Amino acid sequence: MLLVKKIFFLLLFLIPGIFFSCKKEVPIQQIIITDTTGYNPTPYSITVPWYFPTIMNIPADNPLTVEGIYLGRCLFYDQRFSGYQAPDSQMSCSSCHWQSKAFECGIDGPFPGGHPIGIGGNYTPHYMLPLFNLVWQNNGYLWSGLIRPDNPVTSKRRLEDLVWMGVYAKHEMYSDSNRVLAAIQNIPGYKILFKKAFGTENITFELMAKAIGQFVRSIVSCHSKFDQYLLGQTSLTPSESSGFVLFVTETGADCFHCHGGDGNPLFSTYLYYNNGKDTVFGDPMDHYGITGDPMDIGAYKAPTLRNCELTGPYMHDGRFTTLDQVIDFYSEGVVWSPSISPLMHKVNDGGAQLTPQQKADLKAFLLTLTDQTLLSNPDYGPPPEFP
Amino acid sequence: MKHCSLLLFLSVMMVIGSCKKDEPIETNKFGKISFQFAHKVNGLALVTDTLIYVNAAGNEYLVNEVQYFISDVILHNSDGSDFMINQDGGIHYVDTDIPSTFSWAVTTDIPVGNYSSVSFTFGISEAKNQSNMFPNPPERDMFWPEFLGGGYHYMKLNGKWLDTLSQVTPFNFHLGIGQIYAHDVINVDSITGFVQNYFTVTVPNSSFAINENQTTSMELIMNIESWFDTPHVWDFNYWGGSIMQNQQAMQTAKENGADVFTIGTIQ
Repeated sequence: MLLVKKIFFLLLFLIPGIFFSCKKEVPIQQIIITDTTGYNPTPYSITVPWYFPTIMNIPADNPLTVEGIYLGRCLFYDQRFSGYQAPDSQMSCSSCHWQSKAFECGIDGPFPGGHPIGIGGNYTPHYMLPLFNLVWQNNGYLWSGLIRPDNPVTSKRRLEDLVWMGVYAKHEMYSDSNRVLAAIQNIPGYKILFKKAFGTENITFELMAKAIGQFVRSIVSCHSKFDQYLLGQTSLTPSESSGFVLFVTETGADCFHCHGGDGNPLFSTYLYYNNGKDTVFGDPMDHYGITGDPMDIGAYKAPTLRNCELTGPYMHDGRFTTLDQVIDFYSEGVVWSPSISPLMHKVNDGGAQLTPQQKADLKAFLLTLTDQTLLSNPDYGPPPEFP
Repeated sequence: MKHCSLLLFLSVMMVIGSCKKDEPIETNKFGKISFQFAHKVNGLALVTDTLIYVNAAGNEYLVNEVQYFISDVILHNSDGSDFMINQDGGIHYVDTDIPSTFSWAVTTDIPVGNYSSVSFTFGISEAKNQSNMFPNPPERDMFWPEFLGGGYHYMKLNGKWLDTLSQVTPFNFHLGIGQIYAHDVINVDSITGFVQNYFTVTVPNSSFAINENQTTSMELIMNIESWFDTPHVWDFNYWGGSIMQNQQAMQTAKENGADVFTIGTIQ
């Protein structure tokens, strides 16, 4: 009997060993902050469903911290950040990036029609892209991919670099970093927040950019109806389900090769494609403008379709105002050009040739990607009070 | 008691065996192996995005990109034993858009000796081809929709061909799990079963040696034109530009794929 007991206990140790001995290692973001200045910010972890990517685009010198994200949130929403005094010139990131529009301007937000105009009176070169799930973008930011790690221009490589670009651009804040610094650096409350976030009261523009970068990286969309469906918490309606099938089948609308699906919950590869909108090209800010590869003429980053209900007008030039127009385009409006992506394999039919019912189903599916939590999460909204 | 002893023995064996990376070969001398992947058409290095190729059916075509998995590489020792490479789950992804994927340095110790050949699975076996196992790009973007069988594309070979109307038409020569449709109605509601289309490639003339404390570098060449000839002449005008939901087409491609790989430099 004693031997049986011994064997039992031995098995008790061995059996878990069977299960754990082969457990696959998963990448874990390491946040190491050397506390040399007496500050001790709290590491921040992004919580997402199991099917989300594990590799995040977080620079080693700007790990996410609770204090850094809060500071970035204050700056993101602070109208003084433009550096202007006059009320009609003051603006912040949030002046254009509305939470209620999935952190872009939408078609009926601050700019009627959806084309942003900066303080300098200029329209932005392209229409907006939403600011969420950027922490999983590794192939460049903006429609063209201009902001990328291998950019020879070292000041245009990181998400943080978009902050100074937004400050300087005529079509955005049309300000400068000195003006912004002057507006922020002597506010006592900000000194405290910078001390907590970065261990210094010596406020620099780079630290402001880092804080905003942290806040933007913390904005995550992972609570749509489709997420609930993937988690087994809800079911799709027959129309939504039919739309989902169309989305992920080659004989259907074949959206998934560029826009993800059940195997890619970001709903974009974030790669660059000429999707067949034009036969003549002249935009110097397409992906060809970055790579010089003729196959990238007319190519732009595939935007995420999460929250696409809110992010019209659509395409880099905002040519489509409704999702219906977008679906019509992919159904019968696709045109051939030498650089069209091979994934647009139905181009010589003009597109996927969907029936009215299929179009309605596809739209119903796209609407399941709206994430109300993103739109209302107070952690992504304005701070309770500004410094 | 007898049962307990048996259970204990089995458990111990499972613990020992469950994480064992390689087949046991009695030796205490080891070397390494690395694989280099090259892509050629008609014996010359692949030139992408240029309409310069003609396949066996006479179709003029260009190749935009090739993305694929190989897995379960087995080194066949001349003494009759096999050594399977299990590093990275035994799966390697190659993407002509990402040159870093052209090299796979296997860090596992390989027993020294003479090996007669190399074989591998083109694609991913049914046991390993699990949906969502690659959460990150670029492998993630190979996912094969659950409705169509799940897991991952074995290969995306994307390009264009000059069709009968002299239109340059895109093709997506994609391989993965096939579907059987009732009454040939191509609709997911009529799927009655799935077909595993992965296949074994035994690379001809792939004998090599593993020497102690040395790394043998083996070049594996995908000869892209071979997807379109023996044993079946592949005519894009017949099969069209997309085949994920055409099992007959994928079966044909699979049979053509057996001799696609040849050996290059071994050093």
